[in-house]
Amino acid sequence: MFSKLPQTGEFEKAALPHLNELYRTAARLLGDGATAEDVVQETYLQAWKSFARFEPGTNCRAWLFKILVNTIHHYRRGWFNLHRVKESEEILEHTAAGAAPVPERIAQREVLRALGRLPADYRAAVLLADVEEFSYKEIAGLLNVPIGTVMSRLSRGRKLLREQLSELARSYGIGRDAGKGGGT
Amino acid sequence: MNTACENVRGHLDAYLSRELQEETSREVQRHLDYCRQCAAELETRARVRAQLQAAVRATPVPVHLEAKVRRELRGDVSPARPRTGLWAIAAAVLVIVCVALIGRLRVESKPEEAILIKTSGRLAAVLNVGLRDHLHCAVFRKYSKQPETAREMAADLGPGFADLIMLVQTKLTGDFRIIQAHHCDAGGRHYTHFIIAGGAGGGKIVSLVLTRRQSGESFTGGIHQTGVDRFQVVGFESHDYLAYVISDLDAQQNLQLAANLAPTVREYLAVHSG
Repeated sequence: MFSKLPQTGEFEKAALPHLNELYRTAARLLGDGATAEDVVQETYLQAWKSFARFEPGTNCRAWLFKILVNTIHHYRRGWFNLHRVKESEEILEHTAAGAAPVPERIAQREVLRALGRLPADYRAAVLLADVEEFSYKEIAGLLNVPIGTVMSRLSRGRKLLREQLSELARSYGIGRDAGKGGGT
Repeated sequence: MNTACENVRGHLDAYLSRELQEETSREVQRHLDYCRQCAAELETRARVRAQLQAAVRATPVPVHLEAKVRRELRGDVSPARPRTGLWAIAAAVLVIVCVALIGRLRVESKPEEAILIKTSGRLAAVLNVGLRDHLHCAVFRKYSKQPETAREMAADLGPGFADLIMLVQTKLTGDFRIIQAHHCDAGGRHYTHFIIAGGAGGGKIVSLVLTRRQSGESFTGGIHQTGVDRFQVVGFESHDYLAYVISDLDAQQNLQLAANLAPTVREYLAVHSG
């Protein structure tokens, strides 16, 4: 057990800095913070188990996201259920929709709601490309689909998202597309 | 929109993502230089992307998650503690005691606890400030279940806070009512404490706890929530004060109660701070 520790340290140093991004992606893909936590934990356990096969110098972040995507995939198929014993001190921290919500907060909530309404495959592609800024090629590897599929999911996902948001802007009476002309 | 525009619009997202071949990218750039409509469309898309990034990145990550992951990696998962009764309180107190200790001495004997404390972070420590008083005063101390009269409460609180009693009471819904209001001390700190009873036939105890902010303590805006075993803690700040609503209600109820009280409490503290 103790002989493993130095390597654990090495793993933690390489992998833990990506925890926040992994959690946020999982939370948006699963739509549920508690499940996202379980999935992230499982991701790290899986990553740790295969750390020996990880080659230093290669992209640790993409490697972790790949494991995350697989874990979510398995999760959705019910391959692992919440086998984890819940800890007694569960500290859930989240900024709540409190009093006097700041306008940009509302806007953020609306953006997230629009994102949440995208079909799961589109949402994954959009999150990985536009938020996590992976290249199309990397995303093809992460999702295990051809690059053409990535591009079409991205194109549809982004379009749907834009449509929902401009719908929202219209409902707020914001004529943000005023400059957009009919054409020449 | 002509065919050149249509063609360019099909490439705009890939252009933003720097995924275009060099030659195509240059063509798009040339078009954008003279086509105001397409340039505006590019701006819209960039803005949507920035909004999306900001919104997703604002997703709060549970403060304890990193510690949990570390513990699991080290194969050091401690057995689950019983969830209710005295053990629950003992577990909650253990957390608080550890938090209290960490500033003074390095807890080396239980590395997982030390990690938990370190990584659960400043915010968890700030939330525990309020929980401590609730446990000290409303859970452990034997206070009279007999409600105080408004006059007794006002006398206990003194002129500084007496007006707040009525303001708080008007924001309580259902059968919740203030049964005690006083100043108290716990862990070397001064608190203003309202004990509220109600819910489930009056059986639930809720604390509204106010304490002056000390240096380095901040929620950095917003309302924050934590669950420590059966206790739910919601914290927020106003000027020189930290405010907490703590109870063994469920998380949603406790949050709702806090959200009802927060504007009034904030406003009051804003006027009475300093």
